[in-house]
Amino acid sequence: MSLRMAFRLARRELRGGLRGFRIFLACLALGVAAIAAVGTVRAAIEAGLAREGAALLGGDAEVEFTYRFARAEELAFLASIATTISETVDFRSMVVVGEGAEADRALTQVRAVDSAYPLVGAVTLDPAMPLDQALAGDGTLPGGVLERVLADRLGLVPGDTFRLGEQTFVMAAVLARYPDNAAGGFGLGPRSIVLTADLAGSGLIAEGTLFNTNYRLDLPPGADLQALADAAEAQFRDAGLRWRDARRGAGGTAIFVDRLGAFLVLIGLSGLAVGGVGVSAAVRAYLAGKTEVIATLKTLGATRRIIFLTYFLQIGALTLLGIALGLLLGAGLPLAFAPLIEARLPIPATFGLYPGPLAEAALYGLLAALIFTLWPLARTEEIKAATLFRDAFAAGRSFPSWPWVGVTALLIAALIGAAIWFSGTAMLTLWTAGGIAAALLLLVLAAAAARWLARRARIAARGRPTWRLALGAIGARGGETTSVVLSLGLGLAVLAAVGQIDGNLRRTIAGELPAIAPSYFFVDIQPDQIAGFNARLADDPQVSRVESAPMLRGIITRINDIPARDFADGHWVVQGDRGVTYSDSRPDNTTLTAGEWWPADYAGDPLMSFSAEEAAEIGLSLGDRVTVNILGRDITATVSSFREVNFESAGIGFVMSINPAALAGAPHSWIATVYSEPEAEAAILRDLATAYPNITAIRIRDAIAQVSEVIEGIAAATRYGAAATLLTGFLVLIGAAAAGERARTYEAAVLKTLGASRGRILASFALRAALLGTAAGSVALAAGILGGWAVSTFVMETGYDVVWPSAIGIILGGTLATLLAGLAFALRPLAAKPARVLRARE
Amino acid sequence: MSDPVLSLRDASLSLMGNAGRVDILHAISLDVAPGETLGLVGPSGSGKSSLLMVMGGLEQASGGTVKALGQDLTAMSEDGLARFRRDNMGVVFQSFHLIPTMTALENVATPLELAGARDAFARARAELDAVGLGGRADHYPSQMSGGEQQRVALARASAPRPRILLADEPTGNLDETNGEAIIRLLFDLRDRHGATLIMVTHAAELARRCDRVIRLRDGRIVDDAARQAAE
Repeated sequence: MSLRMAFRLARRELRGGLRGFRIFLACLALGVAAIAAVGTVRAAIEAGLAREGAALLGGDAEVEFTYRFARAEELAFLASIATTISETVDFRSMVVVGEGAEADRALTQVRAVDSAYPLVGAVTLDPAMPLDQALAGDGTLPGGVLERVLADRLGLVPGDTFRLGEQTFVMAAVLARYPDNAAGGFGLGPRSIVLTADLAGSGLIAEGTLFNTNYRLDLPPGADLQALADAAEAQFRDAGLRWRDARRGAGGTAIFVDRLGAFLVLIGLSGLAVGGVGVSAAVRAYLAGKTEVIATLKTLGATRRIIFLTYFLQIGALTLLGIALGLLLGAGLPLAFAPLIEARLPIPATFGLYPGPLAEAALYGLLAALIFTLWPLARTEEIKAATLFRDAFAAGRSFPSWPWVGVTALLIAALIGAAIWFSGTAMLTLWTAGGIAAALLLLVLAAAAARWLARRARIAARGRPTWRLALGAIGARGGETTSVVLSLGLGLAVLAAVGQIDGNLRRTIAGELPAIAPSYFFVDIQPDQIAGFNARLADDPQVSRVESAPMLRGIITRINDIPARDFADGHWVVQGDRGVTYSDSRPDNTTLTAGEWWPADYAGDPLMSFSAEEAAEIGLSLGDRVTVNILGRDITATVSSFREVNFESAGIGFVMSINPAALAGAPHSWIATVYSEPEAEAAILRDLATAYPNITAIRIRDAIAQVSEVIEGIAAATRYGAAATLLTGFLVLIGAAAAGERARTYEAAVLKTLGASRGRILASFALRAALLGTAAGSVALAAGILGGWAVSTFVMETGYDVVWPSAIGIILGGTLATLLAGLAFALRPLAAKPARVLRARE
Repeated sequence: MSDPVLSLRDASLSLMGNAGRVDILHAISLDVAPGETLGLVGPSGSGKSSLLMVMGGLEQASGGTVKALGQDLTAMSEDGLARFRRDNMGVVFQSFHLIPTMTALENVATPLELAGARDAFARARAELDAVGLGGRADHYPSQMSGGEQQRVALARASAPRPRILLADEPTGNLDETNGEAIIRLLFDLRDRHGATLIMVTHAAELARRCDRVIRLRDGRIVDDAARQAAE
């Protein structure tokens, strides 16, 4: 009966229209829309990756070897399971154009293919032509295709020639698009494609040089991918074979998209938290306006339950409307902008309606609305019928009774639980929730402190009416201070944190790193070339330092006879192949943290020196046995020492170093880092590349720029997410300013009656807004600096300095936003005629 | 002699405001007989509206007892008081306090709906007819004059056939003509339903029409006309 009566009363109350709920709807809709949009785009990308899984991989399955081609028995196994096999070889090299001193060079990621490539999908060339026609060449020279950025960099057009190692090619076309683009992961150079057979005389693919061989497989329809994976693993686990299939065709890309999407949704939740402040303020203001109605209903015999249900149903209906609007926006905007987004994404995406992300966003919206509206609704309990005769409500408590606090705590737990469930990452979610809660608490305390300070400062401002009025308004109980600081503060705090983290990371990578990083990383130096290589550099006065080391690539397959992935719990060290070096004596700048280095002429059982930090992370101890597969051969070495390795200097650093005798006869190459003056770099590259065309040079500055670009992309995505939070905060700010308009109108009328000019009143309003905005910005900055310091110190493990341009921007932005909102809602109060206002008040 | 419909013994009212504790009523003792018309008069701040609130259970006495129809209001919960008012009392306010999002008919029907009456709207329409507003049933308060709104409020107060009618300055916001009309209706309703009417008023003429007038000053009864008449 109560519910029926409440439903009737709620329906009648809704006739009052949505006035007062515009901000409520906008905040809720925006928060839900942001989460729904991020989730929809993520789902679209995941669907695209799944749909194109085989194409991205280049086949139904792929088998990869490092440093070598497949052996006969491995090829036989592949032939027994696949209908078609395509072999590709991936390696880094230098594209050279021109001769002698005029030669120009650029780094490229070469894919050497066979005639079966691509197994799935098609390569798009410009001018359009089949790939085999392009690679056939012009009859004299074999053909090759280069990505546009590489061709433009070297000034190449179709018909021009270029060299890879000792082999000259004719560029037949520009490589516009190729199907297995996203599966290769991060690459340091633009792509070029040639036939493997045409590299026979190039000197590039030889034993010991750095290359990966991939065998893409077309499998019979209905092939059991898991069973085949297991069979390959069982038969060739110790041969260094790595299996991947179309179930995870995009590999690392899919993981990256999933992680970034989850992170952006969590940022979106901060937007909902800010929106919740607006929702709560709107409900409180609405219910305050309904005090008389509620008191009347109580006079007529309505119980507290009926009153609560009446407004709960009303707010509930509006919540559903807000969520529906948000879902419409969140699902509709990605669809509307799909062509634009697809064109800018380097990976496939299938845009459509995805119920999963929409349901997730709706759930978050519902829980957030409940959390932020329950307390104001609970306060309807305290409205007494006597309120009709006097202001009984004002003397009520500001905290609801404990059952409501308990229900709210449960709802918050449900929201966090849902976020953990959907994001799949408990730690990140808990840290984000903790960060949001801490920021909100900090902002509430800051608002209280601002009010306290303003009340104290007001006394000192006697004789300065403009300041006194402004400070009085800021310090007033029930004023706008808390709303403004909370609403703007959280959005600014997120932006401030992103700005500090991004600035420090870029400072480290693009600022500090180039100062300590080498000028070049040279790879694929053959053993018979290293002496001449060092000789060229030894006499160069502009070269300050050269470091070189032999390098092989190996995969850690077992530790103490336990599969490495199980022992090390998926640590990065056991994912993929790692560089391995050897040295008969401890290198000069190497510090051992435990154990001993082997004697110079040691020829006993293989011994290994392991990087100390990584060893601690995976739980390795002295005496443990590590099995590394190098060129298909297992080498099991006993860990005899741990050493410090600094991977942050961009110099040479190996996780594993083995005694030379263990690797005797293993084909390998050398790598070297060269530290020189910037003006000497071009000449060094020219001389070494001319003398040794097979050597690949990686310019560290270019690599740093590329990494910086990726980080900037992630930071930009995060800033867009934070912008949604900020927009919501601005909406709440407008709501607070609008809600205070009536009070400001009355204030202006009284002040005018007392003789204040409009200019003085406007100055007081503006000062109030500016002070509030500065307070909000300052608190946000403090929170952002704290967050930035924490992430830089504990997560990135880099140093931290305040990024002042970003910091000042935050404070100025906060001040400006509040000033604009305040002034926008000051014009009408200023224009109102005092007599009319004061008469209406009576 | 029948039992009083209202009985106060040493009832007091103290409230905590922003400036601290305020004692509004001091040791009020009185009985109100069934069917009696009682006027509460006194200067502003004398506590007459507060006394009305205490009698109607709209405010709980801080001390003493307040019994209405034999039930101790001071021992009831907030919801208990609401239900008691629903079943036994009608209240008319100076500022009408109609619910703005409801039509006149819905306003009048609300206490009947709260009481679970199946014929709430039929009875509400009859009440509106009785106050001469049958043709305005579907109009909202904003579409009515002050006098019309107060008539709707009267209809709402009397629709549940309350045994006790409380009126707080029912003509305070009306002009003389409308005020006179409202008073006529109020007494007419009282006569028709035999309710006990307790009214706060500043108007001496209206007070004279009551069977008994209690004068208050500083939260105490300083004069009780019915007592004087009996003596």
